[in-house]
Amino acid sequence: MTGLGALWQIALREIRERLRSRAYLITTALTILIVLGLVVLPTVFAGGTEMSTVGLVGSGNQTIVDTAVALGNANDNPGDPPSVEIDTATYDSRDAGVAALEAGDIDALLVDATEVVVPSTGGFNGSSLADRLQRAASAVQIQTVVQEQGQQAADIVKLLTTNALEVTTLTQGSEESGQTRTIIAYFGLILLYMAVLLYGTWILTGVTEEKSNRVVEVLVSSVRPWQILGGKVLGIGTLGLTQLLVTLVAAVVAIRVTGAVDLPNIEVTSVLNLLLWFVIGFLMFAVLFGAAGSLVSRMEDAQTIAMPMTFTAVAGFFISITTLDNPSGPLAIFGTYFPLTAPFVVPVRAALQALSPLEYVLAVVIALSAIAILTRVAGRIYQGALLRFGSRVGWREAWRSSQR
Amino acid sequence: MLSIQDLHKSFGDVNALSGASLEVARGQMIGFLGPNGAGKTTTMRTIFGLVHPDSGTVTWDGREIAHDDLLRFGYMPEERGLYPKMRAGDQLAYFGRLHGMSKHDAQSSATTWLDRFGLGDRAGDPIEALSHGNQQRVQLAAALVHDPELLVLDEPFSGLDPIAVETMSGILQDQAATGKAVIFSSHQLDLVEDLCKDVAIIDAGEVVVRGNVEQLKDESPIRHLELEIDGDAAPLLQALEGVQELSTDDHRVSAIISAETDIRGFVARAQEAGKLRHFSYTTPTLSDLFREAVR
Repeated sequence: MTGLGALWQIALREIRERLRSRAYLITTALTILIVLGLVVLPTVFAGGTEMSTVGLVGSGNQTIVDTAVALGNANDNPGDPPSVEIDTATYDSRDAGVAALEAGDIDALLVDATEVVVPSTGGFNGSSLADRLQRAASAVQIQTVVQEQGQQAADIVKLLTTNALEVTTLTQGSEESGQTRTIIAYFGLILLYMAVLLYGTWILTGVTEEKSNRVVEVLVSSVRPWQILGGKVLGIGTLGLTQLLVTLVAAVVAIRVTGAVDLPNIEVTSVLNLLLWFVIGFLMFAVLFGAAGSLVSRMEDAQTIAMPMTFTAVAGFFISITTLDNPSGPLAIFGTYFPLTAPFVVPVRAALQALSPLEYVLAVVIALSAIAILTRVAGRIYQGALLRFGSRVGWREAWRSSQR
Repeated sequence: MLSIQDLHKSFGDVNALSGASLEVARGQMIGFLGPNGAGKTTTMRTIFGLVHPDSGTVTWDGREIAHDDLLRFGYMPEERGLYPKMRAGDQLAYFGRLHGMSKHDAQSSATTWLDRFGLGDRAGDPIEALSHGNQQRVQLAAALVHDPELLVLDEPFSGLDPIAVETMSGILQDQAATGKAVIFSSHQLDLVEDLCKDVAIIDAGEVVVRGNVEQLKDESPIRHLELEIDGDAAPLLQALEGVQELSTDDHRVSAIISAETDIRGFVARAQEAGKLRHFSYTTPTLSDLFREAVR
């Protein structure tokens, strides 16, 4: 069998067996559910109408209630159900109103347009209702003052409520698309970060598992170590990224259906930029996680052995975030040319147009060379550590004990 | 023909192999014996390139073993290893595929071997659902599924019940009879004596004895002599030349004597001393050879 044949068989086994496992199907379903929930739930809650009942004692109250309803619904789209609805009930005395409030018949009590009474354990709805009535009362008072005092007062109110200086923003032609690029780059960054840590761990535990159940000795008797490592990365990578893609598609469909978020128009180049670095970043970390997994024989040790990679991914993520404030600072430049942080930093800097084409190409070349070198290093460590069962094998020890 | 010549290997300060040599021809089944830690597993691993010797050679049909050769070898490591959650049939077919079989061949061979081990109805069960003995059968099937030319089995009989031992012995004999080269390690000397015409005994990293079992016995410098008569047999035996050990159990006296000792006339002398109930003169057992070799 050719080298790629065995690699392919190993990748296929990973895909087949994991697709058959309940754990994979459940985590995929759960991830999709969570994403759909995040998209759909806010629109469900936002769509509801805030209902409350206000007790009225004395005169002048109805105007305040009407104004509160008008203000609360000022931003509603025509045709949608109103955001705020307030029912009223009239009482003869303040005492009667307070009694009704204590009994829970009403949510607040307005007295002579000068006082609002709310329950002591008011809760969220009560206090927001009081705020609403307060703002409405102010508006009614201002209106009254303006009506009584005429133009002069109107001018003062206007001065107090408008900005004195007009703000003019210097815009470039591509400002909007630049913002979109940055948003997409950041979105991709978060996805890469998640994919590296989540699917990297899958690869790590997959390798450790083979070592802990000793099947690895049967494997390496006929398959070369690099084929095993490559097959694992390919198989688990494909499966993980499929899960990611399915989740993304579900999210996009949900967003389109509910209209919860305005999706920007996405440029092809920014998607390609993202995809390129996603693949580079994933491969780079995947081979390292695979090599790390070969160093330990027990699942309990697998998590601690991943620390260096996890730390590097976190560092790359944070360097990338600081890049937003300072796209050409020393940290950003370091992050661009240091291969392990480049997948996090370069897409963001490219989106911010802080990289010349030459710098971009240089970063790609460095990263690709790093993958070539890391694959060999990881392959050798993997080979050196595979048949050393028992306690954890050191990185350097594994390197030295591997020959050929 | 598998040929292992003068292997040396040290792990740090520990000398695992110091001059291990053996040969296994096609159609031959060799029992590979040695005390724990003598270097059996290390020697077997060098065949598959899992251990790289410091010096010495391992060849197959006169050539250094290439990766393609490994696809025609079958290996059962001492530490059994299968995927616990993978179905038995899938698992065997997978190992067949890894050894270069087509999908169809791998699947039909997996079925054949499961049937042969009496596990045909368990093909769809995950390995973890099988008993220890059945897992071991699947493990052996994994070494056989691609119809290898060389079988290397590390302790294939350990932990098996007598019936499973019988099945497995039968299969190994079949393999040798159809022209496969078979080498397996074992501590069950009686079993090896029954199964193998040839053995190799390794001690402290060096193959100290190898060859045909009958020949080794003939060449052994000792013989066993047992005698039981009415009366005391011990003086009779003591009178022989080259007596190395003498032990008495009730009336029966056993002696280890030199192979050179002339015992002609001994039976007649015994009969004169008392009524002869038992007399035996044999070459040493494999256990004796083993103890002699690793002393």
